[in-house]
Amino acid sequence: MSADGGELERTLGFLEAMTLGGGTMIGAGIFILPGIAARNAGPASSISYAIAGLVALLAALSLSELATGMPIAGGSYHYVNRALGGLFGAIVGWGMWTGLMFASAFYMVGFGQYIVGPIPGLDGRHFVIALGLLGLALLVGVNYYGTDESTALQNWMIGTETAIVVLFVAVGLFFIDSANLTPFAPTGPTGIVATTGIVFVSFLGFEIIATVAGEIKNPSRTIPLSMILSVVSVTVLYVLVMLVSTGVVPLEVLGQSPIPVSDVAEVSMGPVGVAAIAFAAIIAAISSSNSSILAASRVIYAMGRDGLMSDWFNESHERFYTPHRAILTTGGVTALLIALGLRVDTIIALLAEAASFSFLVAYLLVHVSLVVFRQADPDEYDPSFELPSVLYPAVPVLGVVLTVVVISQMATVIVLIGSGIIGLGVVWYFAYARRRVVGEGLFREAFERTPAETYRVVVPVANPETQHGLLRLAAATAHANVERGTPELVAVNVVEAPQDTELQNIESARLDHQRELLQNARDIAAEMDVHLRTRSPVGPEISASVLDIVAQEDADQLLLGWDGAVGEDGYAFGHTIDPILGGASCDVSLVNLSRDSIGTPVALVAPGPNAPVVARRAYEFATVEGTRPTLLYVDASGVETGSDSDGADESIVREIADSAGLDTDEYDCVVVADDEVEEALMGAIEGYDTVCIGLSDRTDGSGIVYGSITRSISESAAGNVALVRGTKTGR
Amino acid sequence: MPPIGELTILIPIDVSNPDPPGLEVIDALRPFEVILLGYFPVPDQAEPALIKHEYEDEASARLARIAEGRDGVTEVLVFTHDREATIDRIADQYDCDAVLTAGDTDHIEKVLVPIRGDANVERIVSVVAGLLGRSDATATFFHSALEDAEPSQGEFLLRGAVERLTEYGIDGSRVDWKLSEEGDPSQNIVAMGTAYDIVVLGETEPSLRERIIGVFLSTLIDEIEIPALIVRDVE
Repeated sequence: MSADGGELERTLGFLEAMTLGGGTMIGAGIFILPGIAARNAGPASSISYAIAGLVALLAALSLSELATGMPIAGGSYHYVNRALGGLFGAIVGWGMWTGLMFASAFYMVGFGQYIVGPIPGLDGRHFVIALGLLGLALLVGVNYYGTDESTALQNWMIGTETAIVVLFVAVGLFFIDSANLTPFAPTGPTGIVATTGIVFVSFLGFEIIATVAGEIKNPSRTIPLSMILSVVSVTVLYVLVMLVSTGVVPLEVLGQSPIPVSDVAEVSMGPVGVAAIAFAAIIAAISSSNSSILAASRVIYAMGRDGLMSDWFNESHERFYTPHRAILTTGGVTALLIALGLRVDTIIALLAEAASFSFLVAYLLVHVSLVVFRQADPDEYDPSFELPSVLYPAVPVLGVVLTVVVISQMATVIVLIGSGIIGLGVVWYFAYARRRVVGEGLFREAFERTPAETYRVVVPVANPETQHGLLRLAAATAHANVERGTPELVAVNVVEAPQDTELQNIESARLDHQRELLQNARDIAAEMDVHLRTRSPVGPEISASVLDIVAQEDADQLLLGWDGAVGEDGYAFGHTIDPILGGASCDVSLVNLSRDSIGTPVALVAPGPNAPVVARRAYEFATVEGTRPTLLYVDASGVETGSDSDGADESIVREIADSAGLDTDEYDCVVVADDEVEEALMGAIEGYDTVCIGLSDRTDGSGIVYGSITRSISESAAGNVALVRGTKTGR
Repeated sequence: MPPIGELTILIPIDVSNPDPPGLEVIDALRPFEVILLGYFPVPDQAEPALIKHEYEDEASARLARIAEGRDGVTEVLVFTHDREATIDRIADQYDCDAVLTAGDTDHIEKVLVPIRGDANVERIVSVVAGLLGRSDATATFFHSALEDAEPSQGEFLLRGAVERLTEYGIDGSRVDWKLSEEGDPSQNIVAMGTAYDIVVLGETEPSLRERIIGVFLSTLIDEIEIPALIVRDVE
């Protein structure tokens, strides 16, 4: 497997990442929620924003590490799914999708309020909802048809919007009336924390940087820097906006306003300010809603990739190449949520808080996932940005604690809605996804030590689709040694990539491939009652990666697939196999599976150190189909003695079988007396499906010695051939 | 004098097009090493990995069809949100000396080579020499003098270029030059282009641009009807 198929382009630099993160965050949240926040916590609601910012910052830190380790679409969903398995993956996936729909609906209702607000005489809930729906329809339409390279316009809009907010804060500071700021915290600490749960929605968006990690240039630096910087600067901005808002306009007025920031601007900047703020609020709502729709289709795509969602959603439009079904579905549900505003008075706060809830749960699980990844430390997890030791495990622990505190203070109705969505994820997992999901999560690996007595068979597979037979053979081999330890199968799929290959290409190739590998391997392991682990290291040389794994796993056996070629192109068995044979110290079998059935194996034995291992392998292979192996011995010196006095030859076979740990009823013994050994052998093995032959463990420098019999059988045997070598001495 | 055999040319092609041009022009570019860049434009809305998953086989088959039977062609397939960025990156990665813009032609008989006072005129000439080396094609060097420039300066530049080309072993009878002293350089080139098969251009002032195809070149390339080979200033 190599990553040199199609490449994925990195196009986002630091500035793009910052505007993406900041622009998505500064949305309707800061223009709509100050009114509701002030009503609930008074001027101290600025502290609510600060706490929400801290929660976001902690999540951003954990996400930075995970994103540089797995730069692939899906963001939080993907990390949780990998770390904690499909059930939590489904919960977070559904949570994020619905959360983004709540958020998007929230932005569009805010959009309606800001358009209706500044025009006197147009106040009316129907009008607000109608405008929200219209705006949404427009966004869905644009995204259905697709846009490219629209970043210049977006950057311009977000720049203008940010400049207006900064100006608003700068001017507003001079208009603060300290009388308005007392009492500072009329609802006390509980009110402040409860408000945090509502305003957290204003921070959604920093995660988009992690979601597009695969497209970011110089990710190890850009991802953490842009995430942290955008969260911190947006937090400062929000705190100041809240202080200005509560300081300029009395609480009673601010708390009742659907367009609080505009009302503040009227006092400090006059009609021009009102127009500017309305303009900024409209742009903010559109850009945030747009990002949410796009982020939703990314999550759906990632879920589809892992088998948690129907692939139907992810077929791109045949002409526009957009994920049109995901976009339309997201848009449709969002429209329903907006329309709910006709009936529900407090729709805007409700939508905001529900979106906050979903993402708080997601980030809580992200922190847990980071710990799991650190503990399990899988091969492919090698983040280019790691939380420094002063921050780990402080960041994930504090993140979990703080998130729980915030959630605990949320309104009952929100906790009910949120639990309903979690329930939806659980039901979805068990009803739909469970059978289709292949990843198990790393949880068990992270916190469970494998028992000391394990019989471990390592089997590298290059093409998981066609190597069903090899996996089955390996599983049977492991299981046949059950009395020597818990059987365990380690399936290895090396992602072959030059040292400097971009990580996003590797990650996408690995996922594509590993899914099939896991699927096949898991079925077989379950069938054979063998514990399965899979490893997919990335490296420039397959042989070196396999040898690393063999050593790390302290493997008992290595089973290698082989094409049957001997002595071609200057290699004994091939350019990948030769170095593995030379370097692996455990038992090794090269297997050329030319038939579907393993059937009855025959082992060619002759006195020598390898013979018991060959006999043992034949016995193990026989368990695949429950047959009894034949141990075959050709005696070249005994031709004259005739067939009746086989006693001596048979005892040689018995001795070999004995040291292989086989009872007399576990094999058949066949002795042939002929001085034409090779010919006799070829005749004798006819009718067997699988032949096991010893491979000399004498190595000549780096070269591998093989006899002429090995060679002719490899070349002309009709059935499967296994070349067997015992553990290297001195181990 | 850069040896011709070591020049590398990048040919970008949109592989989302179900029926991409056959790129017969590759055969005319034989003396050079060719990097065939198949790019698949991905809209902002889609995850590049999604499109890659769906269209990778199709796209690489299209690319392979173009490269088929032509040796010395390296294929690169990229799924990208930003075509220009990809062209720039690949050109850099493979040390390409020139980039071919959209357009196809099955024969190259007449080559138009507008030159300014480019620093990379050496490289431009070597690319032209490569184009002419194995065919009977003719080349015309062209310079459009700015209004306040000394006319002899342009002539000096053109004669120097012709001389350089003959040093590559190209017969002087296959090379001529034209000097224009009026009109807009860019419009002159577009007007002349109709009578030629391909135009070889130097990239715009490197200090003023971040990308190979800057503003000046992109308007020119949009208007001109024949394929253009943009020679990079990689020094």
